[in-house]
Amino acid sequence: MGKLTIGCFASLVGSLNLDFAVKLSAAAMEKGHKVDLWVSGNGTMISIEEQRPFKDYSSLEKPLKELMDKGLNVTACEACAEARGYHDSNTLKGVKRFSMDWYLGSTFDADRVLHIGGE
Amino acid sequence: MKLVAFVSDYRMTVDTLDRLKPEKLGIILVQNGVYHATVKDKGNPSPLLDYSADYYVLKDDLETRGYTASDVVNSKVKVISFGDIVDLMFNDYDKSAWI
Amino acid sequence: MATTKLGFIVQRPGYKSENPKLALTHAIASQSVEIYLNEGDLVTADIAFIGEGVLNCKKDQKAMETYDLSSTESHIKMALLLDLNVLVCREDLERYGMTENDIVIDAEEFGADMTVKVVPYAEITKMMEEMNHLLFF
Repeated sequence: MGKLTIGCFASLVGSLNLDFAVKLSAAAMEKGHKVDLWVSGNGTMISIEEQRPFKDYSSLEKPLKELMDKGLNVTACEACAEARGYHDSNTLKGVKRFSMDWYLGSTFDADRVLHIGGE
Repeated sequence: MKLVAFVSDYRMTVDTLDRLKPEKLGIILVQNGVYHATVKDKGNPSPLLDYSADYYVLKDDLETRGYTASDVVNSKVKVISFGDIVDLMFNDYDKSAWI
Repeated sequence: MATTKLGFIVQRPGYKSENPKLALTHAIASQSVEIYLNEGDLVTADIAFIGEGVLNCKKDQKAMETYDLSSTESHIKMALLLDLNVLVCREDLERYGMTENDIVIDAEEFGADMTVKVVPYAEITKMMEEMNHLLFF
């Protein structure tokens, strides 16, 4: 089995880019792959705890927690998070926060990298 | 290079795909990219389907937008799941690009 | 000892979106990635500006003066100072009526030896072939 690193730089609640990243992570893990998920830019919003679920918006806290329990490695860009007022104190338990070099470090031994960037 | 490109928009704001010339190209239509597989603009299918590539469209994103596999206008576009995307990435292509 | 090569491909203009700048800051982070690796292992970053992305390279950006924001130009200069390989597509510069005189080429004021290379798209294709992974911004 291999390792997949996903970098997701987009986006806020209402966009489905993060949903795509989470669903792809789940599918890869189901097939036995190790998955690192790096979120940066607006994508760091996934790291905030206690987002209230509404049916008009996607809510990823529950699937993210379930995947992290199964070994999904989620790390948020610390500077991107802090710039948005997302602090350690309101970060979802299990989500790590590091500087950007963590993402590059994760790609070092990744068999595949999917970078979900531009908007 | 065996490259799989993810297309997530219907109106493309970049022309990167025009110039990528990998040895093998796969195009996976996701999010609003699925409209390339289902919509004709003034009767014409999307020019995005004209590349020399293997085409795929994500079933979840088709169905989310009210389409089914039978709405896909070109038989060369294969309807796939998230699990299939993982297999394509690991088994058929060595690099990926989210365009 | 092993090296993983990353290609950062910037295809969109900056400022309306932070993505081009995030490409540069993440590429620059290759200089401190060693803390996550074993001794001798490396992750390298090459940067290429293509399509509308070449507009990020326009010199004389005044983002600091207007929005109190570090400019994309200053990040390109930082990349040069850190000896990153920065490529700009010649055909796309021409498409937008620009020449090498219009873009940031060096960072001499910071003491950088590296310069921006304006190259045909074929050279950028070659770079992409040589990379282990591609990151499109």
